[in-house]
Amino acid sequence: MRKFGSGGLTRTRRGALGLGLASMVLATAACGGDSGGGEELQNADEVSGEGKSLSVWIMEGTNPDADPYVEDLKTAFKDETGADLDVQFVPWADAHDKFVKSIAGGTTPDVAEVGTTWTPEFADAGALADLTDVVDEAGLDGDLVPGLVDAGTVDGGLYGMPWYAGVRSVVYRTDVFEKAGVTPPTSWDELVAAGEKLKAANPDMITFPVPGDSEYGVYPFVWGAGGEIAAQEGDTWASEIDSPEAQEGISFYTDLAKEHGFSTPAATTWDEADLSDAFSRGDVAMMIAGSWTPGALVEANPDLEGKIGAFPIPGPDGGVSPSFLGGSHLGVFEASENKDLAWALVKLMATGDMADEWSQQSGFFPGTESLLQKVQEEDDPVVSPFATQMVDGGASLPVTPLYGQVQGKKTVSAMLQSILSGDASVADASSQAADEMDEIFNQG
Amino acid sequence: MTTSPDVQPGVAVTESRQTPAAPSGPAAPGGRPSRRDRAGNGLTPGWLPWLLQAPALVVLFGLLVYPLVRVAVLSFQDFGLRELVTGESSWVGLDNFTEVLTDPLLWKVALPNTAVFAAVNVFLTVAVGTAVALLLAKLGPWARGILTSAIMVAWAMPAVTGTYVWVYLFDARDGFVMQTLGSLGLVDPETTNWFTERLPFFAIATANVVHHGFPFVAVTILAGLMTVPKEMLEAAALDGAGAWRRFRYVTMPLLKPVFAVVTILSTIWDFKVFTQIYLMPGGSGTNREVLNLGTWSYITAISQNRYGLGAAIAVLLTLLLLVITAVYLRTLFKQEEL
Repeated sequence: MRKFGSGGLTRTRRGALGLGLASMVLATAACGGDSGGGEELQNADEVSGEGKSLSVWIMEGTNPDADPYVEDLKTAFKDETGADLDVQFVPWADAHDKFVKSIAGGTTPDVAEVGTTWTPEFADAGALADLTDVVDEAGLDGDLVPGLVDAGTVDGGLYGMPWYAGVRSVVYRTDVFEKAGVTPPTSWDELVAAGEKLKAANPDMITFPVPGDSEYGVYPFVWGAGGEIAAQEGDTWASEIDSPEAQEGISFYTDLAKEHGFSTPAATTWDEADLSDAFSRGDVAMMIAGSWTPGALVEANPDLEGKIGAFPIPGPDGGVSPSFLGGSHLGVFEASENKDLAWALVKLMATGDMADEWSQQSGFFPGTESLLQKVQEEDDPVVSPFATQMVDGGASLPVTPLYGQVQGKKTVSAMLQSILSGDASVADASSQAADEMDEIFNQG
Repeated sequence: MTTSPDVQPGVAVTESRQTPAAPSGPAAPGGRPSRRDRAGNGLTPGWLPWLLQAPALVVLFGLLVYPLVRVAVLSFQDFGLRELVTGESSWVGLDNFTEVLTDPLLWKVALPNTAVFAAVNVFLTVAVGTAVALLLAKLGPWARGILTSAIMVAWAMPAVTGTYVWVYLFDARDGFVMQTLGSLGLVDPETTNWFTERLPFFAIATANVVHHGFPFVAVTILAGLMTVPKEMLEAAALDGAGAWRRFRYVTMPLLKPVFAVVTILSTIWDFKVFTQIYLMPGGSGTNREVLNLGTWSYITAISQNRYGLGAAIAVLLTLLLLVITAVYLRTLFKQEEL
């Protein structure tokens, strides 16, 4: 981070960044024995890839049945450039390790799907190519979903092409709400009132589980109350998770469990998978979950078909609380020998028909605004609330590789769990989390 | 023995004559051929043993020595993802160790969790294993066969599977134990989640580790029990020794080397316990109270990409284990001399 500085991107800075990357690429090439990497990346309308082949990594499970898509992609790419594709599916759980190992061993693919929170980390390490110029040249810079652009931008350079996005909102049981005479709440007070009614009508159900091993549920309430996770000051980041606003949000969220009893002690150690399991068993009235979950919930328990709805996470006094905008970028790796060809593939996958096909099949939102608008107009009851959430309240976490370390240390979940288990007060737990974040930020 | 010189002087003399020779006895078979080698009778050249051992040595070097040296080197470096990509490395001297040693987490959480957990688990594993071995020794061949197979299943179960079973048993909502105790009115399932508290968390981990570890101890000690001469136990019984005194003063001293082996191995296993803690709810970093040296090292190195710092924790864990094993072996040998 500090080597390159940050803030406004001037000519010289970009030059220095390029030099830095080039020297890193040389070092990678020297250590990986890869002689062809490091050529200047260019945008061209037509790239000939006759007789060439690109390796591509895509995360497994995003698209439940990805084979037809891959066949279409191979055909389209062959038609356009004449090159072949070698597509590999990588499970999310192994992906980070696999990337790190391939970066270390010089065996990175040409193009890969990179989770948005990993992009700054790999870019900072010098493994990904800077796409800023080619995105400009291709005239795409105005059409990309801003949250995904922010998440892929390091020191002014864009290192990940937005591919698809997902966002968390509230997923609820329409039948349970109807029976209790409750409509989706639009403010925090209404959320509590709805919870009380649901709890009275269904004492055996968990009204609104607050999972202690997932950080993504608390962010909307911190942001909704006007707080921030951390703020950038020049070159460095400083934590703000213990600000009065943030504490107010954390208190409201944890009080849903502690004061109102909408949760269960078991949820104190739940992660998002446990949360989904409980929902698909029919134990949960509403929960914070991703736009990609409703399909999986019905698949796990077909009885829930038609009984699942969604609404955006309400703001304190109406409106929408921002929620973390997650998703994936497509990245071109620096060590690739055919970067122009790789960029041609990224363009093909992230725009137009291929991007549309992917988001239709996977249930995620496309990474370009023009396609996103199309989805919003379709008005599907479990899709459009998420689209509203994304457009009106999509937010990103601090875009620095150091925040990856904060997540690795589970700082925010540890804070939640200690509050939920009664080990610490909101004030103590949040100031401890802030200290831990600052310690990590200062190491950078 | 003490009375024999008076009754049979002749025997005692021959024994005492043999005694000085005895120590050289076992050494002799090993010593003589080596002298012949050095004399060079041409049958076994000096490099041949090394050549024959080469495959094993290569495997040992690749799997043990290299990673060990690499971890030691890493612990003196500031090594993150960038260093992994560029292949550069920056030496930071003892910075990593200073950071670990001045972290209150080490003294208040990780070290006590590791050491106390290991001590309790080693004791329980060996105690339960011994008790089961004594029971097995009493049984007839059929019952023993069935029981041995049953405990082998506990041993053969992968740590991951076993851990999930124990976690499920104690699950705060659907767990068998929670539901049983809840229906008896002994705990309140509305307010209890055992995994969030340090002692219950480690009690469940202890049940898991002891359950997984005792079969090895039981089988090893059973093998030892088979070698205890029946005559000695009978003699002790005739002298009026009860079951406990026979075990304490006859069996235990005879099986001391066996106890030493199972205790040292259990100590090593229980100190570096990782899977059984990491996979429990909260064990992978959300519950800071239950970190031990193994999980702390892993989270630091792998989840945070701070490989240097993680390596330093691992080095400290190794040194701690070496010291404990050395002290334990020394006390054992000292007792032997007495």
